[in-house]
Amino acid sequence: MKVLVVEDDRTVGQFVQHGLEQQRMQVDLVPDGREALAAASQASYDVIVLDLRLPGLAGVEVLRTLRDRGVATPVLVLTAQDALESKVQALRIGADDYVTKPFAFEELLARVEALGRRPQAIAPPVLRVMDLTIDTGAREVRRGEKAVELTPKEYAVLEYLARNRDRVLSRTLITEYAWGYHFDPGTNIVDVVINRLRKKVDHGHSKKLIHTVRGVGYVLKS
Amino acid sequence: MSTIRGRLVASVTATLGAALFAFGAVLYLVQRPERFRDVDARIRFQGDLIAALLAEESGPGDSLSAPVGDLGRTAQVVGTVRLVIRSLRDYVVVISPTRELEYASSGARGLPVQPLRSLVELGEHPFTGRTLGSAELASEAGRIPIRYYLREVRAGGRPGAMVVAAAPTVGVVLPPDRLIPAMLLSAAAVIVFALLIVYLLVDRTLQPVDAIVEEVEAITDGRSLHRRLMEPRIQDEMARLTNTLNAMLARLEQSFASLHRFTADASHELKTPLTVVRAGIERAITHPKAPPELMEVLEEALVEVNRMAELVDALLTLARADEGRAPLHLEPVELKDVLSEVSETASILGEQAKVAVSVAVPERSVTMAVDPSRIRQLLMNLLTNAIKYTPQGGEVRIDWEQVDGNVVLSVRDTGVGIAPGDLPHIFDRFWRADQARRRSGGRPGVGLGLAISKWIVEAHGGTIAVESRPGRGTTFTVTLPIGATGEQ
Repeated sequence: MKVLVVEDDRTVGQFVQHGLEQQRMQVDLVPDGREALAAASQASYDVIVLDLRLPGLAGVEVLRTLRDRGVATPVLVLTAQDALESKVQALRIGADDYVTKPFAFEELLARVEALGRRPQAIAPPVLRVMDLTIDTGAREVRRGEKAVELTPKEYAVLEYLARNRDRVLSRTLITEYAWGYHFDPGTNIVDVVINRLRKKVDHGHSKKLIHTVRGVGYVLKS
Repeated sequence: MSTIRGRLVASVTATLGAALFAFGAVLYLVQRPERFRDVDARIRFQGDLIAALLAEESGPGDSLSAPVGDLGRTAQVVGTVRLVIRSLRDYVVVISPTRELEYASSGARGLPVQPLRSLVELGEHPFTGRTLGSAELASEAGRIPIRYYLREVRAGGRPGAMVVAAAPTVGVVLPPDRLIPAMLLSAAAVIVFALLIVYLLVDRTLQPVDAIVEEVEAITDGRSLHRRLMEPRIQDEMARLTNTLNAMLARLEQSFASLHRFTADASHELKTPLTVVRAGIERAITHPKAPPELMEVLEEALVEVNRMAELVDALLTLARADEGRAPLHLEPVELKDVLSEVSETASILGEQAKVAVSVAVPERSVTMAVDPSRIRQLLMNLLTNAIKYTPQGGEVRIDWEQVDGNVVLSVRDTGVGIAPGDLPHIFDRFWRADQARRRSGGRPGVGLGLAISKWIVEAHGGTIAVESRPGRGTTFTVTLPIGATGEQ
């Protein structure tokens, strides 16, 4: 999957670029509207990630010009203005989706993948970590041969851990992924869910999958 | 009355009343000495005439008079006097030096005995020369007010005779007991008439003001600041008021526009660096080789960035709400789905805080036209708030019911409660009760949660109410209209 990222801020641009590249996408990063138009006209991309506020040529102008030239590539707009108007405006002139700054990478990734609609780019429908299998299509979880019944939040946390197996995920990242809501810093809602998951997933198995990293978060180890 | 109209009418009544009273009083006092002038002139003339005639009757030493003892002439004079006196309709009497009634006018003859006697008695006082005065004649029918003129006859044959000329003043002047009611009555009529005029006049004057008030209200609802008041054709005070208001509206529009620009700019200026910081932290924290101690620091930084992002978002939302532009994305939402999602999170939060949390999830379908993310935010705000202020072992309940076209959601806790003095402020921005701050221990939130919640409810056309008893618990009640989707 080929993605064009149009972002004038280097840090944000590289963050998106590296993140998408880690998902085995091919990413080109350009810093302004003119280059974006040139790049989009030369190569064919599956998805364009476009910052609305750009130097030189505004993102809205870039989008309009692209659509006028008949480029039908799905466009994901990055916007700091979450005013209704700019969203509606962006969607009206041909954007396919938008993400409001500051965004969590997972959110951006999910939307880029959804816009790309390339099966090979989407995470495999069945995640496997040791003898744990997660069917992301049917939302079914098995440990060994035994089916594990999970609530929606438990499932979301486990799936996020499994997608990023062997990588420590902080409580905040997990909370954002599963809830999209910022709880009070003292609220260790993730700990409760992890405890429940341990009872359902690890209980009775000699090989524990869920591990705690003190002071940081959790990891699913294979 | 609290209206200008009422005050104006009241002050006009008072002023007019006082003016009429003063006018009446002055009139009455000034006309008092003047009112007998005509009567006095008449009785003087009559008295002097009779006295002159009587002097003619016999005048020793008077060169012009007839010789003494000229009986013929005396009889002629007597006849003349009698004739003249008879013709007078006022009370004219002649009293001889021996104090006998000698002549009486037809008016005097018409008097009953009693007043006639009083009239005669007037002439019996020893005095010389002439005098004018007021007196009253006693009679059985009452007292007759009169003016009298006394004239002593000096010359002629009847020195010492007295002429009393009097006239009743009844009908000449109005006595106070008749004057005052008449004045009061006419004053009342004048005041009522004036009030009517004033009322109509004020009504016509204020009509444009009412129109302006209505127009301004329509304009300042937050969405129509570009509109202006219609200028009246006549360049009067109303036109000046309209011009002033229009100038003010122009400035308001300008400052609202710059506020809008500022919030948009600020959102970008704050959110872009936040995105940069966040991106950096996220990259570092998800790096496979990041050491745990570094991750701990990064996690703290991430929490703070999120707090800041949330604060910026809340401020911008409220700033926009103040402009009357509600960025809501309404869509059909199944209440069951919202509440069951909240229910799971609620049970997790409750388990962690050791508070029994229960959420009533509807079994039947209730579809509402709402902004799902905002409604979720509202419920989570109220829920986390309730759990935060409920001690271990307490209870938190979320209930729902459908009342007509509304869904009523209640969040009830058995927590510390809110002091009655604090209740009016809890929806204020950045407001936090000291008690709650002390109790919650850790770092307080920014105090925008309930302000945002209130905005969410009101933007949906609903209401939020709170009821609390310190030490017993708090109940938030949210009433939301089901909206255009209706129940299926």
